[in-house]
Amino acid sequence: MEAAELVRTTREKPILGYLWAFFGTTLGSLLLSPFRAEIDLSNIALLYVLAVVVTAVSFGRGAAVAMALYSAFCFAYVFVPPHFSLAITEVQYLLAALIMLLVALIVGHLTSRIKAQADESQRRSQSSRALYLLARELAGVQTPAEVQGAARAFLEQSLQARLVHLFKPDEFKDVVSPANPALIYQCLERRRLLTRPTSDGCFYAVLPLVAASGVQGVLGVEVKAATLGSQDAVEHLETVASVIAVALERSTYVAIAQETEVKHAAEALRSSILSALSHDLRTPLTALVGMADTVVLGKVGPEKQQRMLEAIRAQAMSISRQMTNLLDMARLNAGKLPLNTAWQPIEEVLGATLQQVRLQWKTRSLNLQLADGLPPVNIDAVLIERVLWNLLENAIKYAPEDEAIEIGVKQADGQLEIAICDRGPGIPPELVGRIFETFQRGRLESEITGVGLGLSIARTIVEAHGGKLDYLPRHGGGSCFKVSLAIGQPPVFETLEA
Amino acid sequence: MNDTSSILIVEDEVQIREAVATALECEGFATHQAATVRHAAVLAAEKRPDLVVLDLGLPDGDGVDFIRDYRAWSATPILILSARSEESSKVDALDAGADDYLTKPFGVAELLARTRALLRRHAGSQLPQEPLLRFGDFTIDCVDRTVLRGDTPLRLTQIEYRLLVSLAAKPGRVLTHRHLLAQVWGNQAVENHQYLRVYVGHLRQKIEDNPAQPRHILTEIGVGYRFEP
Repeated sequence: MEAAELVRTTREKPILGYLWAFFGTTLGSLLLSPFRAEIDLSNIALLYVLAVVVTAVSFGRGAAVAMALYSAFCFAYVFVPPHFSLAITEVQYLLAALIMLLVALIVGHLTSRIKAQADESQRRSQSSRALYLLARELAGVQTPAEVQGAARAFLEQSLQARLVHLFKPDEFKDVVSPANPALIYQCLERRRLLTRPTSDGCFYAVLPLVAASGVQGVLGVEVKAATLGSQDAVEHLETVASVIAVALERSTYVAIAQETEVKHAAEALRSSILSALSHDLRTPLTALVGMADTVVLGKVGPEKQQRMLEAIRAQAMSISRQMTNLLDMARLNAGKLPLNTAWQPIEEVLGATLQQVRLQWKTRSLNLQLADGLPPVNIDAVLIERVLWNLLENAIKYAPEDEAIEIGVKQADGQLEIAICDRGPGIPPELVGRIFETFQRGRLESEITGVGLGLSIARTIVEAHGGKLDYLPRHGGGSCFKVSLAIGQPPVFETLEA
Repeated sequence: MNDTSSILIVEDEVQIREAVATALECEGFATHQAATVRHAAVLAAEKRPDLVVLDLGLPDGDGVDFIRDYRAWSATPILILSARSEESSKVDALDAGADDYLTKPFGVAELLARTRALLRRHAGSQLPQEPLLRFGDFTIDCVDRTVLRGDTPLRLTQIEYRLLVSLAAKPGRVLTHRHLLAQVWGNQAVENHQYLRVYVGHLRQKIEDNPAQPRHILTEIGVGYRFEP
């Protein structure tokens, strides 16, 4: 704010101007006095007028007027005969002195006014440039927090302000020193800048942030007393506040727009649920009804009938598992996921899950590789079992019958890592980013049933534990899903016996 | 156990009740059916069944309350049928005195296996008890407080021994965390699941060939343990 500085320099040093007017005139008069015989009196008068103009440009009107008066005195005293006397013997000399005074006054006045106008317009152009920069900065921001950041950076840099804060309407009641609720409410009521002095000659100023749709908040800022010294400076600060208010208003609209987008996404999810349900549950149910009807007709051989009944059972169990997933998802989505955590060895949960999986898929081979000395983890065993079950079920569904599923558990970087790897087709690279989304399946319309909930549930549960579930393509073909759980500090276990 | 054992089925869903009854009758059991807690209590007193198959969600009351009332006068085994959304009431039911559970949907094979196991065990408990417990190639002598693997004595601490006996004395049965903690450490310790996990871990190291995939001490996640001889 070079211009503002300049204006202040001119205004802040009037005494210097007067001193200059006095000593400059005295000195000039004395220096010129030896040559009074050679120089014409009218030229000397013009020299005085020139000095007044210079003073007006440098120090403003007050010093110029003082100099004009003093110059008239010196002119009369030093140069008008009789020299070094105020006695004026001829009327025309008196006239000359008076005309010089008048001319000096008028020229000094006009000059200082033009100078002030030039200063003012330069200051205004500087300040509007600063505002332009602020507005451009704010145009790019999206959230209220970013508005706050940009406003703070601007005020700190251009006004050397401190303690810049944008109070949102819900913060008004709990503001702390140097602001206080009374100050803020008063500021909002009067819709204008209010200040109160703080220590070391600074002022704490609060300004209402009002935009078209109403009050957006209050700007609180601590500045030096001089920053608020003039009406112009106050107006500048108020303009800054209104630019910030408009930016805040816009950022609120951005938030509303995002919310609307989320609602749209929820709508889209709902319709994808419906289509997934209609395809992935109705198809096996249709097959079920068909097979049951065939058996009822009683026209198939006993061996075939037996096979069909077994297929009916398998189909029903598969639907049941999908229902389980749907119910889990509904529970997780409803936010009803109280973690019932306890420190326990992961082997225990894994072992129990594998036991269940082996009962369900008797012919599949599962290879478990456990690193030695695994620490206990703080988990909800029932939920982690769902994660492991879902990952294993996925691997079994997609991998070829004769390939073993590899399960590896190890400790790495303060994490317990459980990797479940298969030799299935893997996930196409373009779908990797989406497989954890609800109702997404690696391959659409495949003959493998499922509604695409398993991975989404698994990830939700793992993340609720503060862990991570990642997909890694497996070296040599297939997929690996890796669950990482933080290893904390298990409570010290007191042994109850020696 | 004889083949004319009678079984009381308490379930309000007609289809499930019929399916369970049909499966059990095909195996030669006599069945009685009730759809409410009230009717079940009357039938239990009147028919004195050898086993109760009990659904937890009944229209006129909680299955857990039925178990408490029933256990006041009868030691007849109780098999719970629970839906997945009833995790916690399942544990409550086991703590209240139920013997085992099946999660819906369950297969007939599983139902029959559990039924036979419960009836056999109950019949066995009526016989004079022997102070020797045997499983795999292990022998527990409850008088000398020694455990042998084949002929080799196994070194167990006091707590490990008590835990092993508590488990092995009820083979095939689900034992809740709470039940085992009370048995081994006493009633003041029933919330300290941590103790139990640590000692089960120790015990598996000593008796299982592959502690990570145990054969004898099986984990029932969220419920407790089941001992398979």
